[in-house]
Amino acid sequence: MKIAKFKLVMFSVTLIIGWVFCLPALGQVQTPALEEELVYRLNVFNGRGYGGEFTPQSEDTIYLIADKNNAISARITLVCFWPITGKYQASFGTLNEEVEGVLEILKGEKVIETLEKEDNCLYHPEGYWAGVSVLYRGEEAWAYHEKYKKAIAEYYMKRSEYQQAQIEYRKKYNEFSKEIKKRKEAGEEITEEEAQQMMPKPPSPPRSPGFFVPPPGKDYIINLPPGNYKIRLRVENGAIIQDSEKNLVLFTYRREGGTGYTIIPGNRWTKRESCDDSSWIIYAAGKNTLYFNPFIQDEYNELYYNKLEEPQNTGREEKWKWVRTEPIKNVTLLFSKGKEILQKIVIAPYCVKQIYGPELGYEIVEWDPKEMPGRLPAFGGYKLELAFTLPKTNYEVNLQEKEGGLFPGGRREVRLVRKERAKSLYILSIFPLAVGLVVFVGRRRKMK
Amino acid sequence: MTRKELSLSIHTVKALAKRDLYSTLSSLGIYIAAFLSFVASSFILKNFLQSIKGDDILISADPLNYPLFISTVIVSFYLALLSAISISREKDQGTLEVLFCGPVSSSTYILGKYIKNILTYFVVVLFFLVYFWGVSLLTNLGFSSRLGKAILTSIFSLSCVISFGLFISSLTKKMRNSIIWLIGILILFLAVGIGQTILFGMPQGEVSSVLTYLTDTLSVVSRGVDWISPFSYLSRGIDAISLDNSFLWGLNILYSIIYSAVLLLFSICIFKRKGVRG
Repeated sequence: MKIAKFKLVMFSVTLIIGWVFCLPALGQVQTPALEEELVYRLNVFNGRGYGGEFTPQSEDTIYLIADKNNAISARITLVCFWPITGKYQASFGTLNEEVEGVLEILKGEKVIETLEKEDNCLYHPEGYWAGVSVLYRGEEAWAYHEKYKKAIAEYYMKRSEYQQAQIEYRKKYNEFSKEIKKRKEAGEEITEEEAQQMMPKPPSPPRSPGFFVPPPGKDYIINLPPGNYKIRLRVENGAIIQDSEKNLVLFTYRREGGTGYTIIPGNRWTKRESCDDSSWIIYAAGKNTLYFNPFIQDEYNELYYNKLEEPQNTGREEKWKWVRTEPIKNVTLLFSKGKEILQKIVIAPYCVKQIYGPELGYEIVEWDPKEMPGRLPAFGGYKLELAFTLPKTNYEVNLQEKEGGLFPGGRREVRLVRKERAKSLYILSIFPLAVGLVVFVGRRRKMK
Repeated sequence: MTRKELSLSIHTVKALAKRDLYSTLSSLGIYIAAFLSFVASSFILKNFLQSIKGDDILISADPLNYPLFISTVIVSFYLALLSAISISREKDQGTLEVLFCGPVSSSTYILGKYIKNILTYFVVVLFFLVYFWGVSLLTNLGFSSRLGKAILTSIFSLSCVISFGLFISSLTKKMRNSIIWLIGILILFLAVGIGQTILFGMPQGEVSSVLTYLTDTLSVVSRGVDWISPFSYLSRGIDAISLDNSFLWGLNILYSIIYSAVLLLFSICIFKRKGVRG
């Protein structure tokens, strides 16, 4: 009886322990639970264009760039916590309910602005993927969207004309081939030039509109000076919508319009270097090929900017980061030593060619559309070659504008270091000890 | 205080500082400290140079600033210890009692010690100039005007370290206690500062969640430590130089002067209250 009781207890203990150990595993296989939440969807200015994510309930503050139009809207959606990324994910595809009401902006406890939803859209002048965009509001938004619709309609019309012309061309080409064949069979000699003249010309395809303007949507447009604010949603009956209160931080750059460089070292073209500040020096030791890409940039607080890009990002309030706003065009890169200009470099597109064979690796060559049909350049840049024979001294790179003047903030120092002398530094360290010994011995002698 | 008394006090401070300065400069200690600081700097610079591969580049604002920071920290540790030891030793040996029978007062004594250390550091600054100029000549790392400005900043931050050392030694009676307290607190300050620099220097994407918590904790701790730690005045000054912000740089120097003045005042008051036997 006692043995049976003991066995039962042991079995229960084993079962409980097994169940406890299985719990985490069960947790892992479970799909994250979806919860209905009020979130703010952001379409905000990020220094170069517009973008943004959403602010879940876990985040109590929204960060925006001051004195710019920022579009935000309140939505009811399904949110789940994704343990792999440690972030909340929204399922706007499943539920995306617009929250009605007015948005109140408070400074302290005082309501300073009450915003109604207004029409707005983004104008992407270089296409959707270029990253550059401008926000238009109200009538202007609709006007830009109409312009886009018109351009698209024109494009499709031209495209259909082109397709028609393509059919015509193929027909004429077949006729031409038959004609040539017939004449050749008849013993007639046709020169290359004659054949070229007779050959029908293919139609050129129409170019799609370079810009993109989606249909306008309705959002609250926030444009405020730097400072700390609060926002909340109020419905028609005067009640505040639950969970709609958020802190709002409007910040601006610390430094504006700086010139930064992305430098692509020839030996590792995928791992680029940044030279953001004019006080930063480029140190090199030997033969180098560097590809420079200049940018205009603004400097923002790291935490604020990271939170602007994605409210669930982390960051450090004590740190600052440069944000590239646009590439610098129409300039020449000058490489000089003192006042003497050693190289004047223009921008060129480059392609990366794999080297086959036992040595492997790659080669960076200038992109030539004729020699490389169907291939696009991997990157563009100002190619600076530092020869092995260059004296190990100080050089500088700078940007020259078309008019001849120097581009502000474009100067960077390039120093070729003498690394072979690194060990001699220890000899230099002995210097104070030598002085000390002289003083010490001198004092001893004096005392004697 | 009458004019005559003031003149006597100045004379006393001068005499005390001169006596101590002569003693410090004729012993080997300060030269060894400078030598060790340069060995540490050479080690950092050698590694920096070796990290620039033959066909590669390295981008840095001022590679000589960090070695300068390390050199300043080592020398200021030595000078702070020296002042703490000398006060405690004079207390222990009873020399203070003899000194205080004459025109020496708490304020002249503390100021004498402070001025002596500052003058000793001026000698070290000369070593710094020769060493970093030599480094620049040898390796072409560059002796920039910013480095000169950083060396100037180091004088003010050293003033903070010395006043901190004097403050600690005025609080303690025994030499051993002064040394332990001083080293302990300074190492703690350095650990917070260096830890924060390392964590903040890491690229955002490479900071793991554990390190993020540590960074946040250090960030909170350092908000307080930043005002107390004498070393943070040096790092803030160097930051202002790299930002090319003269206003911040000037403000940091002003804060260093206020910090030194406040701690010296506290040291004098404590010394007065405790008396020569401590």
